[in-house]
Amino acid sequence: MTLTRLDRLRLGLAVATSKTVTSLIRLLGLGAGSVFPGEIAGRIQPRVLPLLTRQVKYGVIIIAGTNGKTTTSLLLRTMLERQGWRVAHNATGANLINGLMTALLENTSLTGKLNADYAILEVDENILPLLLQQIKPRSILCLNLFRDQLDRYGEVDIISQRWLKAIAPLAPETVVIANADDPTLSHLGQKLSQQVLYFGLSEPEQYLDEMPHAVDSIYCPSCGHALEYQGFYLSHLGDFHCPSCGFKKGQLAIDSREWPQILIGIYNKYNTLAAVLAAQEVGIAQETILDTIKNFQAAFGRAEELKVAGKQVRILLSKNPVGMNETIRAVNQIKATGKASTTLIVLNDRTPDGTDVSWIWDVDTEKLVALGGNLIVSGDRVYDMALRLKYSQTNLSEPGLKLIVKEDLREAIATALELTSPDETLHIVPTYSAMLEVRGLLTGRKIL
Amino acid sequence: MTTDKDQLIIGWLYPNLMSTYGDRGNTICLRQRAQWRGYNVTVMPLDQQTSAADIHKVDIIVGGGAQDRQQEIVMRDLSGAKAQALREKIEAGTPGVFTCGSPQLLGHYYEPAIGQRIEGLGLLDFVSKHPGIDARRCIGNVVFEVTASRLGQDLSKMLGTAPLVIGFENHGGRTYLGKVEALGRVIKGFGNNGEDGTEGAFYKNAIATYSHGPLLPKNPFIADWLIQTALAEKYQTPISLSPLDDALATQARVAMFKRLGIVT
Ligand SMILES: [Zn+2]
Repeated sequence: MTLTRLDRLRLGLAVATSKTVTSLIRLLGLGAGSVFPGEIAGRIQPRVLPLLTRQVKYGVIIIAGTNGKTTTSLLLRTMLERQGWRVAHNATGANLINGLMTALLENTSLTGKLNADYAILEVDENILPLLLQQIKPRSILCLNLFRDQLDRYGEVDIISQRWLKAIAPLAPETVVIANADDPTLSHLGQKLSQQVLYFGLSEPEQYLDEMPHAVDSIYCPSCGHALEYQGFYLSHLGDFHCPSCGFKKGQLAIDSREWPQILIGIYNKYNTLAAVLAAQEVGIAQETILDTIKNFQAAFGRAEELKVAGKQVRILLSKNPVGMNETIRAVNQIKATGKASTTLIVLNDRTPDGTDVSWIWDVDTEKLVALGGNLIVSGDRVYDMALRLKYSQTNLSEPGLKLIVKEDLREAIATALELTSPDETLHIVPTYSAMLEVRGLLTGRKIL
Repeated sequence: MTTDKDQLIIGWLYPNLMSTYGDRGNTICLRQRAQWRGYNVTVMPLDQQTSAADIHKVDIIVGGGAQDRQQEIVMRDLSGAKAQALREKIEAGTPGVFTCGSPQLLGHYYEPAIGQRIEGLGLLDFVSKHPGIDARRCIGNVVFEVTASRLGQDLSKMLGTAPLVIGFENHGGRTYLGKVEALGRVIKGFGNNGEDGTEGAFYKNAIATYSHGPLLPKNPFIADWLIQTALAEKYQTPISLSPLDDALATQARVAMFKRLGIVT
């Protein structure tokens, strides 16, 4: 890819300016500077993104979906790096256009030369169409589509229609890696002319006992008839078919039983399978993939484990009903073994969290309350969360349950740590901005 | 010991199709507040498997929001005898709370962003239209005062103050009232259409609103009004409910009023 001299000049200027801004932000201790420099560069050179991504040697891999982007990206990135490749990646979860640019600029020299074999871009599901107008990816991972931040963007149906419209015109050699267990994405894959590789589970013993309430899509995306499910793995993800038009889940390109998973929970099973398919597609050796899965360390806040004041802490970012239901399932499994009794939930309603907290009523908090123990709540919407937990109790006061309300997050964390014995793990369940605050307080470091 | 007088049946419209943005919180709130007071509560889904006779059995009706596609499926199913049963219930004064998508189906019609106009039951005199896929959604915390005459009076009496309702609205469609009474007057937010200052509608004992949040847990006096009205209708005798500890709801309300700069 050759750039014109003017392009190079302007790109260089954009890079220089943004790099200065990054060092300034860091110098002044304002945080990691993950968004701001990209915005500045974007103003100086509006074509920064296409000019940068065209220089990525083997191609750009986009990771989109409601849940699991960060963990999947980190896993895939580690696999690529173990293979000896240089990877540019927006690792901080800054997944809007400016965040993507900032990440690429970090790997770019002052003359506008990008030095990377691959770029992994975690992309907000609503930004994907806009991004695909600017760059041509090698592959796109479509992880899942859940109800999330609907207050910002609208509804799952509309998002999937926009994805289809954006992906359909891409080059035929573009590889789409899609979650077959998600009817919306199976349907998307079946509408595309590009090569589609499906991942999903084939493990009926993992079916949920009953259909979860927080379900978005149980109607046939093709004809509108009710889908029939043999079983649900997680929310609306499962083994399904349409009795009316014959629509069914995509043919899996990977056998979930043959692969170990990272971290805990069904979620991470899906994340693992998606990363494995993407790694196989670029030709990474089987041993390297397996080895990376075995040694994987969580991204911050995603089942991340910390040792604080001699106590074991696990942070489980939960930003929507599906995510929080999965978290509750995982926490309850640990509670049942006696290795945990205290859970801290931190509910914020800032822009990155979604300003509507109604979704907590779609979470099956009854299951959390039923196992008793200490439940501490905090965050901007502490009383809304407390109210949800109160209404989760069968009786006005549940025996064995201690509900503690703490407006002040510092106090909430201190109380939670105090109530956790040395042989237990404290589980902290925060929304996105709350997770950054919690981590900041626990590690003494801030992330912008 | 429970007698017949302790029974309350909550009919929940299409729980699998019409329950976005936490709307099941309204059902949970009604169920718990009645159960905590010793009533025997049954939550009955009113969906594709339901007959018109089932609809006649319920004491309170709850309906939530839906995506446009789901709303279409509901309207196809809710026709004929079932539509007639729902009509008769509401006309007979069965109390109900209908949020976001479900009021649209009680009105004359709804025009979605994509696709055909969806005809409603025409029970409440209003129409709803989506101004187009690129139009701004009405999103944010909302506060309104209940002004619908009879309901407003009842609630003022219960509370001893003006009945201020807190919620969260999130709708693409806009609703324009005909002769039906508005539920309230918007203090903060968009309300029915962002133009005329009205929010929701009130007809017989049916409350229609754009307010999620969900509505009832944060405004428990409306939940109690619904329960009280349902029991009084059912047993044809005035009912007074024992008070519950609503300290958490009050704190949640105070926090939001403070944030929005609303003096109560
Ligand atoms: Zn079908």
